[in-house]
Amino acid sequence: MIEFLRDRARADPGRPAVVTDQVSLTYRQLLDRAHSAAAGLRARGIARVGIADFEAPIVVPLLAGAALAGVEACVYPPDDAAALVALANRFDHGVLVSDRDDLDGVDVVRPGALLSSAALSSAPPPGRTPRPHLVLTTGTTGAPRGVRHDWDRIVQAARRVKPEPAARWLLAYGLHQFAGLQVLVHVFAAGATLVAPAPRRPREGLAAMRVHAVDHASATPTYWRFLLAEMRSDRGPVPGLKQITLGGEAIPGPLLDDLREAFPAAEVSQIYAASEFGASSSIRDGRPGLPTGLLERGDDADVALKVVDGELWVRSRIGMLGYYGEEPVDAAGWRATGDLVELDGDRIRFRGRTSEIINVGGVKVHPLPIEERIAAVAGVDVARVYARPNAMTGSIVAVEVVVQQDVDTDRVDLAIREACADLPAAARPRSIRFVDVLVTQGEKIVRSVSGER
Amino acid sequence: MAHTSGHVEGTIRKFLRRAKKSEDGVSAQTRLYAGGIGLTSLDTAELAAVLEDELGTDPFSHGFMPETIGEIVDFYDKLGPEAEPASP
Repeated sequence: MIEFLRDRARADPGRPAVVTDQVSLTYRQLLDRAHSAAAGLRARGIARVGIADFEAPIVVPLLAGAALAGVEACVYPPDDAAALVALANRFDHGVLVSDRDDLDGVDVVRPGALLSSAALSSAPPPGRTPRPHLVLTTGTTGAPRGVRHDWDRIVQAARRVKPEPAARWLLAYGLHQFAGLQVLVHVFAAGATLVAPAPRRPREGLAAMRVHAVDHASATPTYWRFLLAEMRSDRGPVPGLKQITLGGEAIPGPLLDDLREAFPAAEVSQIYAASEFGASSSIRDGRPGLPTGLLERGDDADVALKVVDGELWVRSRIGMLGYYGEEPVDAAGWRATGDLVELDGDRIRFRGRTSEIINVGGVKVHPLPIEERIAAVAGVDVARVYARPNAMTGSIVAVEVVVQQDVDTDRVDLAIREACADLPAAARPRSIRFVDVLVTQGEKIVRSVSGER
Repeated sequence: MAHTSGHVEGTIRKFLRRAKKSEDGVSAQTRLYAGGIGLTSLDTAELAAVLEDELGTDPFSHGFMPETIGEIVDFYDKLGPEAEPASP
């Protein structure tokens, strides 16, 4: 990453690199701060560090500085003090970078102290230095895992990005998420500007698009659905988007149509990506699912895919080194992704996650196709299909629905039942609840748990 | 206050309408399964969920297997006031 920053700071030093409502950092300033952070980390003898801060103008130079110094950094998700301290213990971070005063039992270094350190006078050691980075998974169940990466692999695909300095990208992901890092690296590789609202929710994202003239944005389908809902309800100006990217979860077909209608000037593309294996190249044909052509790529592909018993498997040269505390993974090896797929003509269609299958009296039901039908019902904003425990059949297919304003829920209930009437009996929703918000995690819909959370 | 039998019956009728089952001639003696309304196991699973949503609990998850509408009403009668759902 530091190579991109050096390059940009030389060629286009005054270009804003990171913009928020309060702050604008140029490439030159960002590089200077990264050098300071690297010096500060080295001077303190820090080899591994957790970052418990969420402001991009703080986190980005810390990440770049850590990469420069060969320090393994890990950005924590926003959470309360007890949870952050628990993460520090779990991942053996003796030092956290944070402005918080409530992180008891952990050594805390202030970001300001690091970012104002005197820059390194000496050049970094020659040769190939490991540039480790740790990403925490947002697992929907169980404790988070640490995914070990190397910046050289993370930036691999970005080396092919073409310069686009006038582009202004929204940061819709957190920098604790792998997808956030990918957006960051892409923006710096293109020499563009990152607009980073806080918090990174659809409402703030929409506001930032309008105020900061964002024209490129990458987010989850769930994020885009909520952003469209925000636009519908506030009837404000439509952001002038040229590029819309979706990734991180399966994309319902109607959403692609809705996005094209709302943003007619935008190119809509999707990426298939995960913290563990990185990202496939973007798919720009605007159709749901992936082209089956991705299955036939040769051994030289960074990310190769195959289907085994209805589940997508991946082999990645740009993926993780391994999980924290576990043996390294074999970069040449195939791994199950947990994504269930079906081949449908020339497309790989997503049917859900292995962890999301609903077992209705012994019949396995995939939630996604049902969710797609319900999302297409008039009056429905978003829907979540999940397993609801049931004494008779173990589970039933349940749905939580957020409706648009001023909609008669009895009518929507009836329309949902009609839309699903031709499904097998076990797959028909047996519980329809109307709610104000859906359970999401990392701006993805949570399907693996029942509604009582 | 205990559930009124009217509330329980109203919930069952709402379920029957939504599940597109006939309400004609339905009474306390009406059998739920074969020879009566003809509920399948999946219909019954749905009824259990509707009862839980409306009334806070349901006979099926307590291990009961009511055979008539009257037996469902009886279940709530015997439960008494503690069966009130947390929210109206």
